Amino acid sequence: MEDMKQLQEEIHRDRRGFLKKVLAGTIGGSLLMVYSASGREIAEQIPGMREEDTVFTKKNFIFIVDITRCIGCGSCCIADKNEYNVPDGNYRTWVERYIIDDHDEVFVDSPNGGLDGYTKPRTDIPYPVRDTFFVPKLCNMCEKPSCTQVCPVGATYKSEDGFVLIDEKRCVGCGYCIQACPYSVRFLHPVTKTASKCTWCYHRVRDGLLPACVSVCPVQARKFGDLNDKTSEVYKIMREPHIISVLKPGMGNEPQLHYLGLRREVV
Amino acid sequence: MEKKYKSSYFAHVLKLAVILVVAGGLGIFARGIFLPETMGQYGHYRGSDIQDQRDVAIRNQTNDACFECHRPIRLIHKAGVHKTVSCEVCHGPYADHVKDGKVIGKLPVKRGMEIKELCLRCHNKVIKARPETVIKVVAMPQHLEEKKVQITHNCNQCHMVHDPLLWVRAAYEMAGVPMKEEKK
Amino acid sequence: MSAVAASGESLAAISNFVFPNDLHVHWSLMIVLYPYITGLVAGAFIVSSLYHVFHIKSLKPVAQFSLLFALAFLICATWPLMNHLGHPERAMSMMLTPNPTSAMAGFGYIYSAYFIVLLLEIIFIFRPTVVALGAKATGFMKTVYTILAIGSDNVSAKALKLDHKIISFLAAIGIPMACVLHGYVGFIFGGIKANPLWATPLMPLIFLLSACVSGIAGIILTYIILMKVSGKKVDIECVQTLIKFLWGFFILDFVFEMLELFSHFYMATHHWHTLEALYSGPLFTTFWVYQVGIFSVIPFFLLMAMSLIKFKDGILLFFAPIVSIMILLQVILMRWNVVVGGQLMSKSERGATTFHPMWFEKEGIAVAIFIMIAPVVILWLIGKVLPFWQTEEGTETA
Repeated sequence: MEDMKQLQEEIHRDRRGFLKKVLAGTIGGSLLMVYSASGREIAEQIPGMREEDTVFTKKNFIFIVDITRCIGCGSCCIADKNEYNVPDGNYRTWVERYIIDDHDEVFVDSPNGGLDGYTKPRTDIPYPVRDTFFVPKLCNMCEKPSCTQVCPVGATYKSEDGFVLIDEKRCVGCGYCIQACPYSVRFLHPVTKTASKCTWCYHRVRDGLLPACVSVCPVQARKFGDLNDKTSEVYKIMREPHIISVLKPGMGNEPQLHYLGLRREVV
Repeated sequence: MEKKYKSSYFAHVLKLAVILVVAGGLGIFARGIFLPETMGQYGHYRGSDIQDQRDVAIRNQTNDACFECHRPIRLIHKAGVHKTVSCEVCHGPYADHVKDGKVIGKLPVKRGMEIKELCLRCHNKVIKARPETVIKVVAMPQHLEEKKVQITHNCNQCHMVHDPLLWVRAAYEMAGVPMKEEKK
Repeated sequence: MSAVAASGESLAAISNFVFPNDLHVHWSLMIVLYPYITGLVAGAFIVSSLYHVFHIKSLKPVAQFSLLFALAFLICATWPLMNHLGHPERAMSMMLTPNPTSAMAGFGYIYSAYFIVLLLEIIFIFRPTVVALGAKATGFMKTVYTILAIGSDNVSAKALKLDHKIISFLAAIGIPMACVLHGYVGFIFGGIKANPLWATPLMPLIFLLSACVSGIAGIILTYIILMKVSGKKVDIECVQTLIKFLWGFFILDFVFEMLELFSHFYMATHHWHTLEALYSGPLFTTFWVYQVGIFSVIPFFLLMAMSLIKFKDGILLFFAPIVSIMILLQVILMRWNVVVGGQLMSKSERGATTFHPMWFEKEGIAVAIFIMIAPVVILWLIGKVLPFWQTEEGTETA
């Protein structure tokens, strides 16, 4: 690897001086002057997206959350809050911690939606813990969304490419969709006074980037991809005999958000 | 006997009917004026909202975007086990830093004990819900005791945050001792 | 989990886990008032219809008044909604682009249609009175009466015969419309499958019955108060009939409310575990103690006694307003327990949040009181123009 060699050389040349400079940020600082001006050279994360010129994408996107991999770091929550300046106390995405003790009691918490990470163990579990894991939550992007069904003015809708979106310019802020969503992913945005929720980063996706949470997840617990693409990871996961389920299947909403390794206790 | 009235016996009914028809007509007229132009273009919603949705500003970029400029860190970051860690999670979103190819603001760099906090977000062993097959977890302060360093040590005194094993590896190399492979 | 929930002592105990977005109660006092006000409208209209369509002659004294009562409240029915909306300036979008699949989208049209029917009925019923009053009035009031008479002075037998036909027609379509208006409000809640407290086909029925109950109680109360205040004689037969209807509707209302709960309990699906925690926890006081214990059981037996036993007039007139107030409180408690109670349980099925309205906030108690007083003031203003009660010469040739 070219980079690796270069790095090794540089480290060997002046290990201490180099590291000091890096730590002080001086090299970084001086290099700030030489960024590329074009700005459109960053590689796309979803192959072929930038060539598309149709109103809706022809791809069939699904989202998979692998709860056997989530470490509860909350990177996704940070990225999400940064991407949308989500007001405090409202969550487009959040991470829950499940603890199941050996008496089948289930304990769940999500302090500040997992945004600040999980720093403390729970001390109020009466019996030995049988199983514990994290469950990231976000919009389920239902095939049959109950939110769009109830919107009185057609401000929230499912686009032809399967994204459930909210038209901020038309939403009256009645809150009916918030009541109708079985997954409580919606909230009333305190600034715009309109309903708001996760969009699977529609703007990023159409620009060839992965949703912010997927892009930043350090352990690939969040996966996003095109089910029509037989080489995609999501396709491979979906065609293999994993334990894959959706949340609240009995609601009949048919989410496009799938959970890998989902336990039955998860609501 | 019959009193003389100015109006015919059905005048009010007729007038009411006219009022209702006119009001209805005005309603239909108003609907034509106020209906959003692209309403119903693709479904029961404002079609031009699709473009509005696409126009939402991208605020987080990719690590590659940061590496466009931050070369030396790129070399370190991409080579280490932290290559999957997002720059922007620790430093803040790209959009707060660069706009239209120009630097518009300085992003924060975590210092001191903030770094420890940051490390423990992922690596803290007391949080049992973390799958240990996925992430290397350590208990504090046992890890410091085990490695025979002072208990007040910060993580980045041994672990370069962008490649936690960089200095560790270098130290082994300098000492001429082969480094034990981390069990995964 | 339910063991933790059932202790119900502190918020922490009842809240094993609430989804982070479920901590806010989005539909607060305003949405409690909205079905309450529409219920009063529908109920009052039914009272009027009992006379105009079903010819319950003993209700004649309140037949006209009920319509004006309904109108006053109907004018205010949209106020809590407008105050609740994040973007009230976009409210007309509901008429502009109603979503055919939305239970809420119909409201604009149903409300408007009902408003028109009620207004037309009032215009036709009061026309002879208005013409007579207009002939005596001068200045501004003359203009008002001319407008109300739709510029016609014809009160000939032929004209009144035509009016009567129209009135019967309007009253007849008014009943199903009143039922639709309020049953529909119940469906707005009943159609939300994500909320096990709301999602029951009985919801529209319960809303409708409680609407009738609250409307009749409202009429009894205001009728007796207004008569006492103005020193007129209360028509005992009318009050007795109203009490009987109130009891009849309340039997149905209360039975269905309890049946709904009992079915949930008996079927004991996973929804029941959530509901059980709710009813034994945050809703225990407002539901079991107030709505059921005090304001249903006591009025139930009072109404039974008043309907079955022939009390002296004085006793009847003493208890009738008391029982009406209790029923009015029962219905608003029911609205509270449904609207707010339903939102207290998190969709996590593992916990509940709390809700305490503030006095001075956008949707606070002060505003709620203002909105409830407004229809009374409007009714008083209407009373300045149109007579509440039919006098001997208030000609109604029907």
